[in-house]
Amino acid sequence: MIQLTNIEKYYANKGVKNYVLRLVTTTIKQGEFVSIMGPSGAGKSTLLNIIGMLEEPTYGTYEFLGENVTSLNERKRIELYRNHIGFVFQAYHLIDEMTVYENIEAPLLYKKIGSSERASRIADLLDRFNIVAKKDLFPNQLSGGQQQLVGIARALAAQPSIILADEPTGNLQSAQAEEIMELFKKLNQEDGITIIQVTHSEKNAQYGNRILHIADGVVKEDVTVA
Amino acid sequence: MFKLNLKIAWRNLWKNKGYTLINILGLSIGMASCILIFIFIRYQLSFDENFKNEGRIYRVITSWTAPDSFFESPGTARPLPPAMRNDFRQQFDRVGTIQGGGGIIKVKDASGKESIKTAEDVQYADPDFFEILDFKWLEGNPRQSLSQPNTVVLSDEMANKLFGDWHKAVGQSINFKNKLDLKVTGIIEKTPENSSFPLRIIISYKTYQNQAGPELTSWGSVSSSSECYVLLKKGVSIEDANRSIPQFIDKYYQKDDISKEGHRFQPLRDIHYNEELGNFANKVISKKELYGLAIIGVFLLLTACINFINLATAQAVSRGKEVGVRKVMGSLRRQLIVQFLTETLTITVLSLLVGCVLTEIALPGMQSLFKDHISFSIIEHPIILAFMLVLMILVSFLAGFYPAMVMSGYSPALAIKNKITANAGGLSLRKILVVVQFAITIILIIGTLVVLRQMSYMREKPLGFIPTAVALVDIPSDSIAITRYHTLQDQINKIPGVLSTSYCSAAPSSDFNNESNFRYNSTVNATFQANTKTGDENYFKTFGLAIIAGKGLTKSDTVRNFVVNETMLKKLNVVNYNEALGKTIRVHGKTGTIVGVVKDFNNRSLHEPISPIILNSDKESYTTIAIKLDSKSILPAMQAIEKTWNNVLPEYVYGSTFLDDKISEYYQTEKIMGALFKVFAGVIIFISFIGLFGLISFVATQRTREVAIRKVLGASTVELVKMLNGSFLMMVFIANLVAWPLAYLFVAKWLATFTYRIEVNIWPFILAMIISMTITLITVSIRSYKAAVANTIDALKYE
Repeated sequence: MIQLTNIEKYYANKGVKNYVLRLVTTTIKQGEFVSIMGPSGAGKSTLLNIIGMLEEPTYGTYEFLGENVTSLNERKRIELYRNHIGFVFQAYHLIDEMTVYENIEAPLLYKKIGSSERASRIADLLDRFNIVAKKDLFPNQLSGGQQQLVGIARALAAQPSIILADEPTGNLQSAQAEEIMELFKKLNQEDGITIIQVTHSEKNAQYGNRILHIADGVVKEDVTVA
Repeated sequence: MFKLNLKIAWRNLWKNKGYTLINILGLSIGMASCILIFIFIRYQLSFDENFKNEGRIYRVITSWTAPDSFFESPGTARPLPPAMRNDFRQQFDRVGTIQGGGGIIKVKDASGKESIKTAEDVQYADPDFFEILDFKWLEGNPRQSLSQPNTVVLSDEMANKLFGDWHKAVGQSINFKNKLDLKVTGIIEKTPENSSFPLRIIISYKTYQNQAGPELTSWGSVSSSSECYVLLKKGVSIEDANRSIPQFIDKYYQKDDISKEGHRFQPLRDIHYNEELGNFANKVISKKELYGLAIIGVFLLLTACINFINLATAQAVSRGKEVGVRKVMGSLRRQLIVQFLTETLTITVLSLLVGCVLTEIALPGMQSLFKDHISFSIIEHPIILAFMLVLMILVSFLAGFYPAMVMSGYSPALAIKNKITANAGGLSLRKILVVVQFAITIILIIGTLVVLRQMSYMREKPLGFIPTAVALVDIPSDSIAITRYHTLQDQINKIPGVLSTSYCSAAPSSDFNNESNFRYNSTVNATFQANTKTGDENYFKTFGLAIIAGKGLTKSDTVRNFVVNETMLKKLNVVNYNEALGKTIRVHGKTGTIVGVVKDFNNRSLHEPISPIILNSDKESYTTIAIKLDSKSILPAMQAIEKTWNNVLPEYVYGSTFLDDKISEYYQTEKIMGALFKVFAGVIIFISFIGLFGLISFVATQRTREVAIRKVLGASTVELVKMLNGSFLMMVFIANLVAWPLAYLFVAKWLATFTYRIEVNIWPFILAMIISMTITLITVSIRSYKAAVANTIDALKYE
């Protein structure tokens, strides 16, 4: 589903090129649960951003669902966001002025889903994540774990085929973190959603079925988890 | 989607209550000012509209061109209308006459007893006048009602006043000037306030012709109250009519006069806006003033919008995360723009509502300033509603578009990582906007200071006579009244508090001016005209005029002696004033000798220079008795004067004014302008400074961490306040530099309209700078001090 070929990313500063990524080539298939690991500054987040089309690589080609998306216009990119990609952030990034219900509803509105369909999908998600009682609360009235649940629910609302998560548990206590990772595993195994996460934690990486180790912008190891 | 946007907008506004309040306050005041200015301009532009043939109606203007003067009058010679009717058959459908006048109206009740006695303005008009201007007739019609002598048409309002009910008025009669009985033959609907024709009592023109004297056939005498209106034929252009004028003038006017007559046709819809010519309603406003007001309105709105833009772009950073998240959820940039504009629209709508309330509150003040009934009814004038809608949309776009563009343009990758800095919100643009805003503010401050100084200069400038505590009491000038002048003056002189009295045609400074050709010590006319005034021997004493050569006028009922002013002699090149004494003057067909020279005094408003003046006594021409009072006993003396007057002249109606009030009326426009400047300068200062307060609040919040770190490093509170204030003071200083030349151009142009004026010096500019810098310093220091003394730990622990 994702084919990265010789992806390079550098920032030029006074003629000196600071490489963030060097010649990254990899394929991610439908239904995989990939964890990207590595030390700080290794280029994990940049790689995820490139996969999420938030940044463009300096060199190399990127194919998403067989289509070259290396540089895409806004309209096409947003089409992909609406239909195929869901984002989960370390700092949750819920919209503070909207309730839980409205936060989950927002992507559906952009996708122009009819109101009854919208209501049933949101009800379903609230039910599944056990946050029905919280639907009228604002993000700042929730705990971090609960906020991340809403964040994931929001990412799932548009029924994407892939979820990109940048340290989804980085701001959470371990009990809550485990809960989120279990959820990801379940989504991957039961619903067949492709998941790519960036993480520091070896333990979290074990939930997935493949780990990409990155250091200094280079893929050092590509291991399959048993 | 719109509903959700609205909801989000509402929550966002609520969350930032302080900024919302500043925005709404600024925008609502700006919008209220705009609405007030709009309804005033709309009212002024509605004058004399809705006449059926308005595009084809013209007033005939008479002009005189002399070697060194040009003068225009809205009046025409009395024989002109019939002549024009005859000679312009090809061009005009109708030529109508209307003659202004006035007198005492008396109505007897059923028992024959006098029930109403009142002094009223009247107009004499022929049927053609009413066929040109289609006023609404409730009873009668122009041909029937105004073709006979001694008939009168009343407005329904006047008929109600005289007879109780206008339905009963037709067929009754009123007495006019104690000699004519006029039969009521028609009723017209009261003319609206926005009309240059305040018609209440219209007497048939035949009545006027029956009683008028030789002026009826004289082409040489023109009164500004004899107006002539023409209705152009369909398909004929006014240029066609203009082409026939030279021939018309050659045919009727004498050719050997010093000044040459001319005519032009003034369109009906120009009458209200021509300040030189005037009209029966005495309501004129120049288009220039209306444009000036509109410009001030635009400035106010601009200032308020700048506030909004500045605060919105400053706040934009805090919305960055939301923008990023929405973008990765699949929001198009366009959708984000719509969302932010919805927020602006919400604020604008709220501001408009508050603005309407403010308008309603300010309306009575505005009505009393302009002495007009200006309506803010959107039902009566739907255009006001349309204006408010346009205003709302315009403000939303003006204020909201730029911030929306900035915010929606954030890159999601940066926004999500909170890597967007304040600079991304366009700090340099914000600085430019603040400079523009303050430049506008400073121009208005300087303008206000100069207008106020010129006003006080005009109040304090010695006019060459003493205008205080002089009452001007009207006197009738018919032959019966003249016989009682002596008694009246004697009795008034005996009243305690009366210092001196003088019969005269007009006070030294007056709207009533008579210009005439004259001969000085020779048989040919002088090359310029003189302003002639008449008064008795007490004229100089009563008005405090100073004689600088010879003596004043002596007791005389007829023309024998003349007194002239300095300007007169200067224009005649007489250097030694004593030389002029004993020389002859011939004016108005009468000859006499110069007995004295009076020191120059301002005989018109200070917009105009002093005229050459000839003063003499002429009992027949007096219209006023001027009474110099002891300023301590004005009130009781005036009551006693009115009583005495009514005893001596019981058939007439008493009327009085004070000279200083009359003089201050010259400056009505300047007074209004001064008041408007004060109000709008106040408003704009307020708007600018709340904007500044908002901006410094934001900057202080943004730099909280920096302030805390600097404090830890050892910066003192004063140093921190200075650091936060610095850029603002600099911006206001630059604004001053930008504003000065513009303000100079503006005030110099305005002052040029006065012959007597203050010199433009540096002080208003310096003062405006001090005012703006001081207020800026206070505004920003309040906030930056708070930021500088905030607890360091609070600022640092969250990072």
